[in-house]
Amino acid sequence: MDEQRIIAWLDGELDPIEAEEVARAVAADPALQARAEAHRRLKARLAAAFGPTARQPVTVMPRPEAEVISLAVARQARAAKARRAQAGRRWALPGAAAASLVVGLFGGTQLAQVAGIEDRRDALALAAPIAHALDVQLASEARPVRVALSFRDHDGEVCRSFAGRALSGVACRVPDGWQLRYAAPAAAQAGDYRQAGSDPATAQVIQAMIAGAPFDATQEQAARGTGWK
Amino acid sequence: MDAFETALTALLPRLRRFAHGLARDPAAADDLTQATAERALQARAQWQQGTSLDAWAYRIMRNIWIDTARSRQRRDKVLAPAEAGESVGVAGDAEGKAELHFLMRALDLLPDEQREAVALVMIEELSYREAAAVLDIPIGTLTSRLVRGRQALLALLED
Repeated sequence: MDEQRIIAWLDGELDPIEAEEVARAVAADPALQARAEAHRRLKARLAAAFGPTARQPVTVMPRPEAEVISLAVARQARAAKARRAQAGRRWALPGAAAASLVVGLFGGTQLAQVAGIEDRRDALALAAPIAHALDVQLASEARPVRVALSFRDHDGEVCRSFAGRALSGVACRVPDGWQLRYAAPAAAQAGDYRQAGSDPATAQVIQAMIAGAPFDATQEQAARGTGWK
Repeated sequence: MDAFETALTALLPRLRRFAHGLARDPAAADDLTQATAERALQARAQWQQGTSLDAWAYRIMRNIWIDTARSRQRRDKVLAPAEAGESVGVAGDAEGKAELHFLMRALDLLPDEQREAVALVMIEELSYREAAAVLDIPIGTLTSRLVRGRQALLALLED
């Protein structure tokens, strides 16, 4: 009785006659039984841990017409931006600006909530995709959610300005996520790559919050490496 | 949304779970899901009606993951602490997330060919035949990678 057959048995890959054979052999041998149990535990453990990732809603949002950009235009804009920034991106994902649809990954809690901001500690927690963008993106990346400035505020927290499809603002990293500190409806931006946070109101907020200078590319990368602490 | 987009949307939660089986941390898994959805939308003309959209999309995701394997390794050297991914995410079930991170790191120690077999069969619960078709390998090859992957995981997690 080899391990491969026991595993195939646990996976339901054997026909009834073979399955019966394996079941009998395993029942008769404590060593095989222990091994089969270990494999069963492993399978259950993976299912329990990974299962919830498929239960969070994920939606495809049609991107407004005005924001559809041709691949060539997006590439030019990206190249121009890269030249200006001179801070090379270490990695990039393909085609983010070129797709005609944007995929939004939403955390499970967001959709179930009653509309409106409640008087709760976590009321200003940002959900994906903005929280995700703030976690992983560097300032120069042209993505559906754009991140502009990163800086440390007077309380020592790392904060970042951003502009999404419908919401723009400033958020700061707190232990369990990103907390919104200033927000405004995102202005309709017909597919340009205007810096998030370049409007006067956001600039004023940042001015009031910032301790020292905004992060440069190296500081930003270092901050990402330590989870924005 | 048209029929293709609707079907793809319905599939996205499972694709995202598969991405968690492949990627090194949840943030990378979401990036992989996003990239896969975009590639699927761009390449929709290549999907043949009547064939399985699931298998087609799994294959796209798996190929993107393989294609980025080299840059993944490079990045691992440039940006060190793997612990960076620990803090990613919004408020939620902290214990479950820690377990997920832990298992993702364990899977990350497997060779790619074992990891993709484990992810398809143990996480996505595909049959051996379906998983072998996604990976375009004979069933015998799939089962031996699967067995070796599971033995390695047990050694990492239990022994």
